[in-house]
Amino acid sequence: MSETPRLVGRRAWRPHWPVNSTRVFKRRRWPGTKRSMLKLSGRYNPKTLRREMVLTDKKPLFWSVGLLALLLLPLGIASERFFTMFGIICIYAAINVMWTLIIGTAGLQSFATLATVGVGAYGAGYLSVTYAIPWPLMLLVGAVLGGLMGWIISLPARRLDGLYYALLTLGLSEFMRNFVTQSDELGGKFNGALFGVGRIIPSDLLTTRLGQSLLYLTAFIALLIALAVYRWVNGGRTGILLRAAATSKEDEAFASALGIDFNKERTRVFIIASAMLGFLGAFYATYIGGTSLQLFSLELLLLLLAMIVIGGLGRAEGAVVGTVIVVGITQWFTDWGPWRIVLVGVLALASVLFTRNGLFGLKAQIEEIRDRRKALYRAGITSRYAEFLPQQAPEIHDKSAIVGRVFERSLRDRLRSWISPELIAEHEAKPLGQHSDRLERMLNYFRKAPIPDKYVVYCEVPFESYRVVALSGLPGVPPRIVDDKKYASLDEAYHAVFLRRVNDLRAH
Amino acid sequence: MIEVVISALVLASMYGLIAIGISLTWASIGMLNLAQGFIFTAGGYTAWLYAQYAEGWGLEGVGLSAGVLIFGMLGSALAGLFVGAIAFLPLQDRDNFRTRSLIATLAISLIGTQIWLILFGPQNKPLPPVFGEGRIEIGPAGMSYQQLGTIIVASVMLALVILWMRSSRRGLQMRAMMMDPLGAAVVGVSVRSTGMRVLAISGALTGLSSVLLAQVFFVSPTSGVQPLTTGLIISLAGGLGSIPGTVAAAGLIGLAEALTARYLQQSLVPFVLFAIVVLILIFRPRGLGGLLEDVRE
Repeated sequence: MSETPRLVGRRAWRPHWPVNSTRVFKRRRWPGTKRSMLKLSGRYNPKTLRREMVLTDKKPLFWSVGLLALLLLPLGIASERFFTMFGIICIYAAINVMWTLIIGTAGLQSFATLATVGVGAYGAGYLSVTYAIPWPLMLLVGAVLGGLMGWIISLPARRLDGLYYALLTLGLSEFMRNFVTQSDELGGKFNGALFGVGRIIPSDLLTTRLGQSLLYLTAFIALLIALAVYRWVNGGRTGILLRAAATSKEDEAFASALGIDFNKERTRVFIIASAMLGFLGAFYATYIGGTSLQLFSLELLLLLLAMIVIGGLGRAEGAVVGTVIVVGITQWFTDWGPWRIVLVGVLALASVLFTRNGLFGLKAQIEEIRDRRKALYRAGITSRYAEFLPQQAPEIHDKSAIVGRVFERSLRDRLRSWISPELIAEHEAKPLGQHSDRLERMLNYFRKAPIPDKYVVYCEVPFESYRVVALSGLPGVPPRIVDDKKYASLDEAYHAVFLRRVNDLRAH
Repeated sequence: MIEVVISALVLASMYGLIAIGISLTWASIGMLNLAQGFIFTAGGYTAWLYAQYAEGWGLEGVGLSAGVLIFGMLGSALAGLFVGAIAFLPLQDRDNFRTRSLIATLAISLIGTQIWLILFGPQNKPLPPVFGEGRIEIGPAGMSYQQLGTIIVASVMLALVILWMRSSRRGLQMRAMMMDPLGAAVVGVSVRSTGMRVLAISGALTGLSSVLLAQVFFVSPTSGVQPLTTGLIISLAGGLGSIPGTVAAAGLIGLAEALTARYLQQSLVPFVLFAIVVLILIFRPRGLGGLLEDVRE
């Protein structure tokens, strides 16, 4: 500031201060990357003119608050009922998040989710029961088995599309159930239940509150791992590529034009998600210390689907919130019996029939309905928006422009009603000088008309010949001559201009 | 060997009916009806209710058998209309109809199972033997009346439906919808009423198979799951929308199941079926019939 201007060539050089009203704070980034921690944007508040930071993307906030609640609620209450309920919420939410990855990111309508989970659970459980392998190995085995299963069932996905694949995979759980029931090693004797699977928390600790809390913590960590995998895949290169292709309505030709091997990427996401599902299955087996055939029942699959649908298909937050709602209903109102499942079904049905994409699609849907109503309402009151089309009005940022036009229009209306032969005669008698109030106002209005196409008097020969011309409004472009009449005196020419302007006002 | 063929035929005729129901629904209105399991159980329970009353009235023999068959079909047809009223009519002209109706039918089947549980309890309900008990010996092998009856009734019903679709005005409308829904609508076929008719018919077919299957198994709230998945597999292998393809696939799958159960292990049946379907789909992605190559896209 204190620098004095010096001369550079013929112009004074002044220091140039960068004017960037959005850079009101220093952006923090994750070390080593260019990613910001939070998506903040800076601005000056238009009313108070204070600098402020606006959280553009509030999702991280909601996520951290929600996850913190999910972590602290059962630990704080510490009743067995809450531990059970929230443990189930965590595990199912993790499964649903992975399913979302398959449906949303990979765009594969697969119902083989629980079959994969079951494969992980039964495989790891069987090995644990028979060979007493430790739990880290169990989780690993689960992930490997899940990935293998994912690879096998992704083979037909290359050839089949959409709903055909959904049909094919829907039967998979039922087949798995049959297989387990009829094989003795996998607990076919005990109606498909395996007992005595190794656990992460030693079983003598499980009766204490500490053990229960630790057990719950493991389930919570499993959910966190699932969310991290979701973030890694969906927010990573593969996910972005796949979503780029999905915007063109599953147009695989478009995807390949972008340089994406759609099938390959899709299969990769599917296998990653399946490995994670197998991992979750193995975790489930260690969590409850066994496995049961319930994993393969159609009912559980449909419940999981209801969770995703209620929350909103293809969104991680929808999967988690839907799980909380559905598991909350089924675990809390246990004395309702089958009616609670009916309630869940009705909720799912309602969200399919009445919403476009579950709970988290509701906001966009309501906004759209509101906008449509607004537009209809505006269309009914055309006079308010003078020159603009009523539909246009919401898109005009500067509302004073609308007000200005409304004022202009009412002014024109009033002036038009004043036009009379007497007024014109008055002007003809005395174009310059003192006028009546109405004429004076009218002339004032004419004077402040914009320059383009404004009528002016052009003097061809002083005191002999005058003409009426219209200014072009552009520098260097000469006025155009409006007619071939010539006027002998300046007053006549003035009056001719006046008459033209009155004519225009009438026609407007 | 003949026994295997007979058992394959029985399986094929029972599952084939469901598969054709699914196939017809998909081809004409573009809805995957996964509430077919619910419709299946609805037929079974209606037939069971009728049988309870009929025993009270002292009905026996042909009256009882025919009544069980008819009421089973009627109950399922009504259930089909119910599914249509919820999952087809409100969603029919909305965007993303296929996925949404799929989810809606799944939700219906979730609710349906619980409703049956509330109404009838978890116990298995037996149906009276429709075809009587006994065996008929043909040459070296024999078959029970039940097997014979199943094959005959299923084939007759199927033939009737095909005949009706070929010869009647309504059938013509349905076939027009299967060829091109938009074109059918343009020439004045009502998408809604034809769709509901299709749902009723496929429901009736499912109900018949429900009664036939209940001769072997029982009716229970979840008894529709197994037939649904097998029916899905068959309709998929047959090519959704093609009746000849579905019949062929039903025969193939029935044969495979019978052969596996006889010469390998019962527990391997699911895997064999799955492998067969995957193989078929790998070589013919639209199934054996595969007539809907580009119509439904």
